[in-house]
Amino acid sequence: MSTVIQENPVDVVCLGVGFMSGVVATELALAGYKVVGITKGPYWDYVNDYSTTKYDEWGVGLGRKYDSPLPLQSTTIRNDTSQFALPVRRYTMPIQYHALGHGVGGAAQHYGGGMGRFGPWAYEMASRTASSYGLGFLAGINPQDDTHDWPLTYAEYDEWEKAHGICGNYNGSSTNSSSDINYPWMSKNYPLPPHPLTPLAQLFQSTVQGMTAPNGQKYNPFPSVSALSSQPYTNQYGVTVNPCVYEGYCAGLCDYACETGAKANAAYRTIPAAINSGNFTLVTNAYIFRLELSASGNQVIAAHYYDAQGNDHRQPGTVFFNGMWGYNMIRLMLLSGLGTPYVYNSGTGTGSGTVGRGLTNGYTPYRGTNVSGTVNIGGNSYPAGNGSGGGVSVFDLMDDNFSHTGLNFIGGGLFGAGGYLGGGPGNITFAGGVSAPNTANPNGAMGSAFKATQQNKYLPTKQSVGATPFAPDLPTFMNYIDLDPHYTDAYGDPVSRLTYDWTPNTYNGATYLVNQIKAILTQMGATNVTVGATVAPYSAHNDWWGHHLRGGLRIGTDPNAGTATAWAALSGYNQLYYNSNTAGVNYFAAGEITNTTGNNATAGTHAAGPQSYRAAEGIKKYLANVATSGVNYLAS
Amino acid sequence: MVSQTRREFLKLGLAAAASAAAASGIEIPLLGNQNSNLQNQLNSANTQMANLKTKLNTVTGFVSLSINEQSLVEAIVETIIPSDSTGPGAKEAGVIYFIDRALAGDYGLSANMFMDAPHNPPRIPASAGPLTVKPSSAWAFLQNYQQTAYLPAGGMGSGTAISYPGASRTYSAGGTNYTVNYGITASPRVGSGINLQYPVNMREFWRISLAALQAYSNKYYSGNYQTLGSDNQLQVLKDLWANAPKTQTNPPPPADDLTGFSNILPSDFAYELTFMTWAGFLMDPLYGGNQNMVGWDYVGFNGVNFGNFYGEGLDQKRLMVDSSPTKLRPASLAQYQQQATGGA
Repeated sequence: MSTVIQENPVDVVCLGVGFMSGVVATELALAGYKVVGITKGPYWDYVNDYSTTKYDEWGVGLGRKYDSPLPLQSTTIRNDTSQFALPVRRYTMPIQYHALGHGVGGAAQHYGGGMGRFGPWAYEMASRTASSYGLGFLAGINPQDDTHDWPLTYAEYDEWEKAHGICGNYNGSSTNSSSDINYPWMSKNYPLPPHPLTPLAQLFQSTVQGMTAPNGQKYNPFPSVSALSSQPYTNQYGVTVNPCVYEGYCAGLCDYACETGAKANAAYRTIPAAINSGNFTLVTNAYIFRLELSASGNQVIAAHYYDAQGNDHRQPGTVFFNGMWGYNMIRLMLLSGLGTPYVYNSGTGTGSGTVGRGLTNGYTPYRGTNVSGTVNIGGNSYPAGNGSGGGVSVFDLMDDNFSHTGLNFIGGGLFGAGGYLGGGPGNITFAGGVSAPNTANPNGAMGSAFKATQQNKYLPTKQSVGATPFAPDLPTFMNYIDLDPHYTDAYGDPVSRLTYDWTPNTYNGATYLVNQIKAILTQMGATNVTVGATVAPYSAHNDWWGHHLRGGLRIGTDPNAGTATAWAALSGYNQLYYNSNTAGVNYFAAGEITNTTGNNATAGTHAAGPQSYRAAEGIKKYLANVATSGVNYLAS
Repeated sequence: MVSQTRREFLKLGLAAAASAAAASGIEIPLLGNQNSNLQNQLNSANTQMANLKTKLNTVTGFVSLSINEQSLVEAIVETIIPSDSTGPGAKEAGVIYFIDRALAGDYGLSANMFMDAPHNPPRIPASAGPLTVKPSSAWAFLQNYQQTAYLPAGGMGSGTAISYPGASRTYSAGGTNYTVNYGITASPRVGSGINLQYPVNMREFWRISLAALQAYSNKYYSGNYQTLGSDNQLQVLKDLWANAPKTQTNPPPPADDLTGFSNILPSDFAYELTFMTWAGFLMDPLYGGNQNMVGWDYVGFNGVNFGNFYGEGLDQKRLMVDSSPTKLRPASLAQYQQQATGGA
């Protein structure tokens, strides 16, 4: 190692500059603290970087010109401990397999803008299930169960939604009265109105309004919640936000790059305010590789990163906020010897330690038990619209909103229909997604017969609708993150290794939910409504499951299971805070009623966002106490 | 393909040379009927010039594919997307140029891929036994940092190899027992998402696979792929998809069939062939395929025409909520960028 370049000490060092660091950096910088944000990629300028070049499906979709480079860092994957974990070699078509972001905004540069709230049930999944269905219920349906409550509440969404301009309307009614709906936790409305509804969304809405949900009440449809602003907007930090112009080229393989800045993202919601405060320094193209500990080992005193020339920079700070992407956050802690690494014992089916524990899969509705049909509504499958607006969703098949007595799963899915038919061109998707010869297509995607099926494919006179539902993928002892013993990043440090397989809760839930969706499709007047084969355990390994992984670093009150205080500080390291998707060990599985080109409906996957305000509050209190008394506020 | 292209180019070039002097922007006023022949000739020459400029933008050469590969790839892509009565195919779209450019660029060089060893390709003969991997620098890291919890059974001494045998696991859910066999070579691997575990870049992958495909065609169909009837050409590609030669009805094939593919799983190559052919048909013309946007026109895709590129008077908001489709003439990225920047 050559000379280490010393940087000036600051109050707060944000590791990674995505959604969560955006909030923490802005809140702390505006409060007068000196903040540094470090990201391995550039600061994308949406006007110049995206305004014309985002319409390049090949360069974005396969060339991955906006994504984290795999030669710099990959990850390895296996289903269980008996396997050799294989590294991700290439960004796989037709999906963003390896979902890291690259630069300011992080992974939010390529999410679809699906946004929403967790219900109270999600935070108390373990205890509510126990009280409703008995203590043994979870253990019975979830082998090697490791499900715990989450010591946060849904009531912390306000600042988050205002900062990011979330669009929605909780029940779609003209009165906006909370008495209209079954779910009081949704009664506070969103800052911005929803996007225009599509004809299919309207059909779905009117259909379910006339139906009875499994809970015995009427369905409560509401416009799908979107993080793409539907109108011009200025947030509480004075950052002006442009509206969506519906030019498409967002969804699917176009990576959701937004050329107007309409899509919520730290790069154009929070970080501009942090920069304007004069207290924030942004370090780009800087690859964080280690946290330096004090001699006693219980304090983080500096972050080390490589600049583009490979020089080692040392950034000291008082507080460190780890806002890196999921398994990178865990990897950095493991590389730095922070916390107790999780170790799985396949013999006993249990594990010990906490860092890397509880890896789960947020959202994989693309394969497995499914239902599909066709409705007589046409449309343009053009890249018009955006990645997430235009649809209608229901909560009534989610959480414990219906009785699970006698069922072999907990939770359910958010369902929606009628997102913009366009949004992304999808040329790569249908070129790459239909390749293998099968019963329906004996020649695969080859020859005149198949070619004829593609003629005017973008001009559907009918739309296919369907869903592949899943219940939540519950934490188990056998799914976790550790360091790979064989593969390294470009600098010679081990990459993360993901050991993961689906849990029965997901496909058992699918088997139940798919029939509820079938009833809705039938009522919508769909023809050829068919239910696919039931998914068996381990039959669903595929290339799609990697991109919404979360868990692995749990916030919890039980130090044997959780690794952080409720303020999101790592136990034993009171000035190290963390917060990302990873922190959410429990989450909603979202199903969706897709149309031809698909439309995400990942409500509730971003609960880490609201939680970042909690971390910011904890950091402020910590810094204030350190400054005045030297007393560690959170230690007491 | 190459000779035809060259002939076409030469023919056009000669015609252009013959008329270049007369066509260099000279306009002669019409002086009555006696000059109409001259004017017709000039008009004709101008048209030829315009046609030539168009052609020069599309007629092109190769930067990566060898002479043998050119004719083979051309035949393959025409099998996958034939030119037929429904419309133009891979030939008219210039798919081979798209593939050629891709192979010479980031795609072929695997510039965006993680290429580090060890490599564990899927098609390893059973006789090879379990995968054995020597400790890497990652191991050294783990040892140095005493993170021994991650070190697999098999020892952690310097130079000790780790062995990963296949495994079988029985699982019970919903009252049913399921047994799943795992192994280094057995299906299911984790999934195609982590395919391409090959120690060669994609250009080399194509070079090996194209040669192997040709050898296979000769062995089982008695001739070079280009000479086969269209049915057999399609069947060859289906054999690759199935990882099974024609004579084998029950895959997997014996280790010595499809031998030329080495450790490459033929279906992995079939995927690349099919995917790259469709990509060449449907990606922006910027990348050499989809010439004159014939692919987009075929599938009814609008490119970056959001409803008013040619003055149609529609807008994207209407397009996204319309319940009846409107076919738009596509616009390319180059056209869009020229319009956006006010360029020529």
